[in-house]
Amino acid sequence: MAELMTPDSRRCSYFFLYDGSKVKGEGDPTRDGICYFYPEETPLDRQELLCGQLAGVGRCVSEVSSSPVRALRLRHNKYAIRMEDDFFWALGCSVEVPTVSVCELLDQLINLFCFYNGPVRQSYQLNGREPLAARWAQYLSHLQSGSSELQHIFSCVRTMDSTNVDPLLLLKAALILQACQRCPLVLAGCILFRGRVVSTQMSPELTMKVMVHESETYATSHIPSGPGSSSSVAPSVSSTTVFLTLSELQDLQAAPVDKPFSSRSTPHKDAPMKKTRLSRTLSDMASTESDTSDPASDQAPQKTSFAPCLSESESSMFSPSASQSSTDPSNPPPHSPKPNSQQAEEAALDESHYHSFHSDADGGGPVCGEEDRSARGPGSQLKDGDPDAVCETALDREAETGKEESSSGGGSEEEVGGSAVGPEAERGPAPGSGAPVDPAGAPLIPMTLYLHRVKSLVLALLVQPHFLSDTASVEEVYHSSLASLNGLEAHLRSIPPRVPGAPGPYLFAHFDRIQGTLTTNLSGRPGGAPQHPFVRATSLLHSHFCNTETLQEAIIRSAGAAVYGTSSVAQETYFQQHGGSLRNSGIPNHQDSAFSLPSKARHRLLKHGVNLL
Amino acid sequence: MKCLLIASESAEVLFHWTDPDFQQSIQEQYGSSQEEGQGLPAFEDSISTLFAPIVISCSTMMDRLGDGYTSFTAENNHLYILHQVDECVYIAVNGDGEEGEDDLRRKIYVMKKLIEVLFGMVTLSSPLLRKELRPQDTERRARLWKHLQGLLDTYCRLRDSDQSFLVEAVERLIHPTLCEQCIEFLERRLVQQLNSSAERAGEEVLHAFILVHTKLLAFYSSRSASALSTSDLLTLIVMAQNMYPSSADLDDPGPEDIDSTSGSGQESYYTPEPSPTDNDSSDSDKPLIGGTPVFEFIDPDVQMAEDSLQTLEVPPPDPSTPCRVFLEVSGKDGLYPMMPHSLYCLPLWPGITLVLLAKVPTSAVAMSVYTFLEAFAKLEKRLHEGHEGSAATRGQLSVHELRHKLDKFIKALAQSEIQTAHLQNVWTEFKNRAFAKGGPGLSKGLIGWCKNMKTQLCGIYRQCFLIESGSAHVPRHLSSALQERAQTMVQDTLMDWKDFLLVKSKRNITMVSYLEDFPGLIHFICVDRSTGQMIAPSLSITERTTSELGKGPVAQFIKSKVWSLVNTTRHYLRKGYSTVTLRDGDFYFCYFLWFENETGYKLDAGEIPILPDDSAPIGMLAWNYYRKLLRYYSKNHQGEVVKCYELLTVHLGVIPTEIILQHCRQLASKLWEPSRNPLL
Repeated sequence: MAELMTPDSRRCSYFFLYDGSKVKGEGDPTRDGICYFYPEETPLDRQELLCGQLAGVGRCVSEVSSSPVRALRLRHNKYAIRMEDDFFWALGCSVEVPTVSVCELLDQLINLFCFYNGPVRQSYQLNGREPLAARWAQYLSHLQSGSSELQHIFSCVRTMDSTNVDPLLLLKAALILQACQRCPLVLAGCILFRGRVVSTQMSPELTMKVMVHESETYATSHIPSGPGSSSSVAPSVSSTTVFLTLSELQDLQAAPVDKPFSSRSTPHKDAPMKKTRLSRTLSDMASTESDTSDPASDQAPQKTSFAPCLSESESSMFSPSASQSSTDPSNPPPHSPKPNSQQAEEAALDESHYHSFHSDADGGGPVCGEEDRSARGPGSQLKDGDPDAVCETALDREAETGKEESSSGGGSEEEVGGSAVGPEAERGPAPGSGAPVDPAGAPLIPMTLYLHRVKSLVLALLVQPHFLSDTASVEEVYHSSLASLNGLEAHLRSIPPRVPGAPGPYLFAHFDRIQGTLTTNLSGRPGGAPQHPFVRATSLLHSHFCNTETLQEAIIRSAGAAVYGTSSVAQETYFQQHGGSLRNSGIPNHQDSAFSLPSKARHRLLKHGVNLL
Repeated sequence: MKCLLIASESAEVLFHWTDPDFQQSIQEQYGSSQEEGQGLPAFEDSISTLFAPIVISCSTMMDRLGDGYTSFTAENNHLYILHQVDECVYIAVNGDGEEGEDDLRRKIYVMKKLIEVLFGMVTLSSPLLRKELRPQDTERRARLWKHLQGLLDTYCRLRDSDQSFLVEAVERLIHPTLCEQCIEFLERRLVQQLNSSAERAGEEVLHAFILVHTKLLAFYSSRSASALSTSDLLTLIVMAQNMYPSSADLDDPGPEDIDSTSGSGQESYYTPEPSPTDNDSSDSDKPLIGGTPVFEFIDPDVQMAEDSLQTLEVPPPDPSTPCRVFLEVSGKDGLYPMMPHSLYCLPLWPGITLVLLAKVPTSAVAMSVYTFLEAFAKLEKRLHEGHEGSAATRGQLSVHELRHKLDKFIKALAQSEIQTAHLQNVWTEFKNRAFAKGGPGLSKGLIGWCKNMKTQLCGIYRQCFLIESGSAHVPRHLSSALQERAQTMVQDTLMDWKDFLLVKSKRNITMVSYLEDFPGLIHFICVDRSTGQMIAPSLSITERTTSELGKGPVAQFIKSKVWSLVNTTRHYLRKGYSTVTLRDGDFYFCYFLWFENETGYKLDAGEIPILPDDSAPIGMLAWNYYRKLLRYYSKNHQGEVVKCYELLTVHLGVIPTEIILQHCRQLASKLWEPSRNPLL
């Protein structure tokens, strides 16, 4: 990771995993139960004290309440707790951090472990404590690497600085991912650059999990560790086994487009897509064709014709399957009417904007459908003028010669994907029958994480386990994306580091709850004196918003600062205005500057792509 | 599912309060193996077994890490709040989601306050308090716990139903003329007559007030009395309500119903009735009256107190016996906490009560004891910090002065019936060590003896004020005839007003009067924190009565919003935010706290201290946060009288914010106009 961890920015002061099953008898020393303790240099008697006392109290409380303990608070520390069959996890933070955040961090940590190692009990049966301790340490340091205090409050995915990246590069990344998905064994993917997300098709939680492995391989300079292995295709490709929960897998497998599109009689272009799914792919688009036989929906057939058209006109630059889809007889003629093609471009841009986290990429922030039209301009420019793209197309076509089996239309691809995955899930250990079980009690399904590194750029794909043995698919995915990745990497690398501009007379933080991203003008370094009141207020308000669903807006004022917070299902935004006369008598006064914060926030944040209207 | 437990460090249960749900869940866990009729000990055993590991872990963590538990949360949202005071651990549990963290912590502090008011300075000595809270005799223990449980139940009922207990400030009945007449009556006729009567047995009535349900109709303090603190006044209202619960509040299942399901069949239940002849008022005293001689003395420190009890017998319950309460007194020479008073609650009619507070004749002893206790505590602290010799006594009562005064005090005590042998022994030993030539002098070795002296002093205090002395025949309080006379006098005066007052207390001020000026305003609460008084439109929702908000779910919903708003704003205030506005669902809430000087000039909003999450709850009942806040704020306003106000409003969310803020401003300036009469 780019940022180094400084001691005072540590989110967590203690973390331990204690296995109660090892300490059953009277004489069993507590140390036998300690699977991992952080910080590792803690004296053993202190480790024993904490493990023994907290686990004991936790068990006692769970007995009285007939429910596992979630949090234990002391005067100087608070602990998030997880108790599952004899395992006892505790993660201790300073009392300043909201309890919701601490609990979230612990869940993340445990889920990360399960993602890479499978069920905890099984891992400890198969492996010794030391290698697994190294794993915990690695995940913990990864999660703690977010150095700003705000990142302690919101667990967010770290993305490219959107204001600094050409939106077309993001579009390109999205299209690379879509292209990879043409292989039915590929579930979803994401593209990372220097430890930051460029584009992803996965949920924020899953993306965060995938990023750990990426940073690990990055750190160990391309030497995969653990159960991972280098691919036969190229040294830059590696893979590792990962474990998905059933719900994660279902989310990935769900064909999210179908239902909203076929059931709605008056489709409104952007709204449903944003609500229902995180990513759309070309194959998804095409698959609507087969599903939208609903005669009541007159818009739907029109939509279906976008797919081939898009393949032809737009994604031929990037997509390996462009030529094939155009020659596919089952697809409508490539030259569709102009309005459709326009709409198709819009759709493609819209979605790529969406899932590459850059709804605000164009300065003005084309969040709404209308504004997307402006984004089309540069798109066509690139198509015409980008030599890289042309070059890539040539490469792509060359690479495609070997793959015939995936040359059928998008729709059938989707079907193949679905059917390939379905049995797999069933064939794998059936839920509840001796299957590996994650801490939440749901079965964990083994999958493979495929990583293709091009210098600082990484393409990470979640693939079916037998993908690696399917040489044709591996080669197809590898070769189809190689050129585009090289191009993208070169572009991203050439982006000059952003010159930090004047932060403006205000502070803000905008957390996108759906994408899990945080936008802020707060500098990353911790403990900035003037920022502290803002962070404190944000932390308080965030807890309040989390606990009170009906709460929409809040203004809180102390002697030094007034902070406005607003929250909806999709986002949380916090705003503080600097300067101005903060002297006030505290009595109600409508001329008080604190009460103009909502309108100021609406106005000021527009230019950061935050729309509070 | 609710529970409050006080345990000693060795996990001995000193008190517990549980609701039926909690009892049931405990009993289910332990099966029904316990025999019928053994309800109490069996339940006490199981609760003690369940909580013992937690209590013991508390002290382990404290000893070894210097960090104690403050709260636990379970995945099913069961909440545990822990609080350690000296050698006692308080644990409050909620499993039904009705109480939040702040509510539970507040309950613990209120319990602590009630114990202080009932046991005074005995609370300063853990071993003595432990014995006081857990009498060896099971019957007495049951009676004492029943009484404390009743008080806690009453408090919880008031907190959940009464806005004045929600914000912890006293609500007055708004009727200036009547109020004035009553005060005059209390001053000129009642108190004067009582204090000039020969039947007062040396007691002097200092304060007299009339309560209509929980609201104050008139309050009179004699000139020689120091002001009664809001905290004490609120506690007294809880006690009065516990003795004579308002009938209107009895629609709901009261604390009695809850108790009767506790499964301990053999016990008779504490059921207060609005009559002075029942034994409720004495009930509270009984456990305190005759210390039965069954104590087993493990602790040599405490030995003296026991001997003195050997000869005592339990006097017959006397309905006219007042309640002994320990209240704060601010004298010329400083603040004296926990000074003994006699509390007389005389019911006039159901719902209307006359309360008299009298100073006991021997209260000077309490002041001396407190002075000595303080001196020894300071000495102990200095010795702990490593100061020895004369440095140990710097900045306080000099050791020789202390010696002289204490010698005199003991001599004086010896002449009374108080048994001072143990105190004398310990004091002699202390003197030998501290002052003897060639002795160790003022050194660390004295720390133990300081502790011992404190325990002995608390023991003396206990003898003087918690136990009726042997000569039970000599009246020590206002005679019952005198009490009756007082009762009749007030009844005669208020006869014509009685019904009006009962209605008025339910409709003190109403929202209707504000609707025209403040369209969109749903509710407000305004509190003057300097005087500890509040005003709010009535919001009582019971089965029979309807409020202006109507009945049923809507009214209940708004009420619950108001309650949660108060909690929320306290949470922000704790973190230093004195202005909060919230848009929540269809409502817009505002909260303001501000300071004014005496002439009504608005002072700058000062910085408000940030408190840790586990600090004492913000309020005035158990711990007066606002007194501390005012003192903190006044540092920058020397020579000025600073007043502190709070305003909470609930508006419809559709009203534009500017209008809402204008409303708030108008309310703030109108409600406490110099006339002190809020607009009606």
